[in-house]
Amino acid sequence: MNLSRTLTVTKRVFKDVKNDKRTIALILIAPIFAMFVFGLAFSGNVEDVNTIIVNHDSGIILPNGENQSVSNKIISNLNTSVMNIEYMDSEDAAVQKVVDGKAYAVIIFPENFTGTIYETAITPSITGNSSGSNTEITIKDDESIVNIKNAIDGSVADAITTTMEDQGVNPPVKINSYPIYGQNAQFIDFVVPGIMGFIVYLLTTLLTLLAFVGERTSGTLERLLSTPLRESEMVGGYAIAFGIIGTIQAAFLLLVAVLVFKITVIGNVFLAFIVVALLAIVSQALGILLSNLAKTEGQAVQFVPFIILPVFLLSGVFWPIQAIPVWLRPLSYLVPPTYAVDACRAVLLKGWGLTKIWPDILALIVFAVLFLLLATLSLKRRKD
Amino acid sequence: MENEEYVICTSKLTKKFGDFTALDNLDLKIRKGEVYGLLGPNGAGKTTTIRLLCGLVKYGSGEAFVLGSKIPDHSISDKIGYMPQETALYKGLSVKQNMEFFGEIYGLSKARIDERISELLKFIDLEKWKEELIINLSGGMKHRVSLACALIHEPELLFLDEPTVGVDPELRVTFWEYFNNLKQNNITILITTHYMDEAKHCDRIGFMKSGSLIAEGEPKEILKISGKTSLEDAFLEFSRQVKK
Repeated sequence: MNLSRTLTVTKRVFKDVKNDKRTIALILIAPIFAMFVFGLAFSGNVEDVNTIIVNHDSGIILPNGENQSVSNKIISNLNTSVMNIEYMDSEDAAVQKVVDGKAYAVIIFPENFTGTIYETAITPSITGNSSGSNTEITIKDDESIVNIKNAIDGSVADAITTTMEDQGVNPPVKINSYPIYGQNAQFIDFVVPGIMGFIVYLLTTLLTLLAFVGERTSGTLERLLSTPLRESEMVGGYAIAFGIIGTIQAAFLLLVAVLVFKITVIGNVFLAFIVVALLAIVSQALGILLSNLAKTEGQAVQFVPFIILPVFLLSGVFWPIQAIPVWLRPLSYLVPPTYAVDACRAVLLKGWGLTKIWPDILALIVFAVLFLLLATLSLKRRKD
Repeated sequence: MENEEYVICTSKLTKKFGDFTALDNLDLKIRKGEVYGLLGPNGAGKTTTIRLLCGLVKYGSGEAFVLGSKIPDHSISDKIGYMPQETALYKGLSVKQNMEFFGEIYGLSKARIDERISELLKFIDLEKWKEELIINLSGGMKHRVSLACALIHEPELLFLDEPTVGVDPELRVTFWEYFNNLKQNNITILITTHYMDEAKHCDRIGFMKSGSLIAEGEPKEILKISGKTSLEDAFLEFSRQVKK
């Protein structure tokens, strides 16, 4: 393998990109665009849920003549950014609003709620169907959207806990959670490394697939094989070019993630870029391999669902591998982006270094070597 | 083998694509410094011959030697120039960038590349267009650039697959003058063409049909043997004889 010929190929890829504004746009704007789209979709919490409160509790009069109402305290502790609170007196009318789709939930406080708590010193609890106990808050809601249901339940539970602590009532059992990693981490923090891997994988595979179908149909590939250029130098030249392009894309993506979506980056960004560059090299070799199966650009585009879907589902981009059915998990370990996403997440969110992520790096190197060899062989095979 | 004398020497060269026999016991011998024209209808095996001699296609049986090496042999690749039938240029690069790229692939120095580019741009008459992207050029212009890319490293042996398609008559004359000049420098050229009248510029021509040579010789000689006045009629005559 001759380095100067290899770099000549790399240089040519860059000249080609530089001359074509559309390709520049695809390479630079696509990751930024993707970051905005996914970022906006995933950074939002559940907000503005129409919630109706029916409070049958009238509180108690304390010996000093002050009206004490635990229900009102709980209500005041509800998270008002999650809920748009409306008060109604009639339970039936309130439920009808949920039935009509005008509200998501009715929160009902029973009669003599405060009184019963003071008499029995029982901590209030949430229930779906009232058992008649006067310390139970009933939520009648639309549970068809799980996110919203969980947000309402969570908000009410938090409000109860806060209220009880304010009252000096501590629940008998309590969970203390001290984050070892990911303090204040939001879902967006989890998703960004995934998006980074996914976008670089997708764009690199697609760009090399199209570039190589072009090399084949225009005759340049064959012409080059009649020159001193070797197949391995051709593949190597492309690998260097797309390794660099992939890193630039990852940098742009991360910049948007940090500046716009304020994600927390703890680890070494450059280590993450090395991981992304490795993934880009694997992806470009995959693009070359796939180009063997397409005779025209039109045929190549038909591969896009096969490039996107398995990785989207299996590689832990949007949900952890642990959320994938056990029987499917072995397949996750067959798609290279799984390792890149895992490594980037560990580096960016936990600050892990090479000593901890080396198994992922090793897996990516094995994939890279294997795919580069196969890509080189696939170019030779055409000589039949 | 008579490798010394012949730059290209094949014996009983056979190549099949599935059931189709592209080359059928082809015996082709081309001397150093010769301009050899391969003529024949589509599918006669002209392009396959060139691709095979460039080491791009594996052959079934027989033998082929190019520049004294049994092919395929990667080590001769810097001594040959190949201009494929399809334009085979990078559409997204400019005329100059394409020429630079091929120059660098052949390992020429930066200074030598610049020198060759200005010489060749003059020859193909595209000096004004050197910064233009290939995608914006006409078919004939692309062919000229493609030819320049095949010549950039001053090869000893040139394979030209239909180099004059889409090139206007005036420039075609220039091309042939240039090819004959190259001959002075002992450069060997194997050329295929559809234009029978052009073939008279060749030192020798070979008529190909169904993967083998049906007649070969100097253009004048061929006309004499066939008793015809044009190479086109001569080809038809030989073709008719083979059928019998």
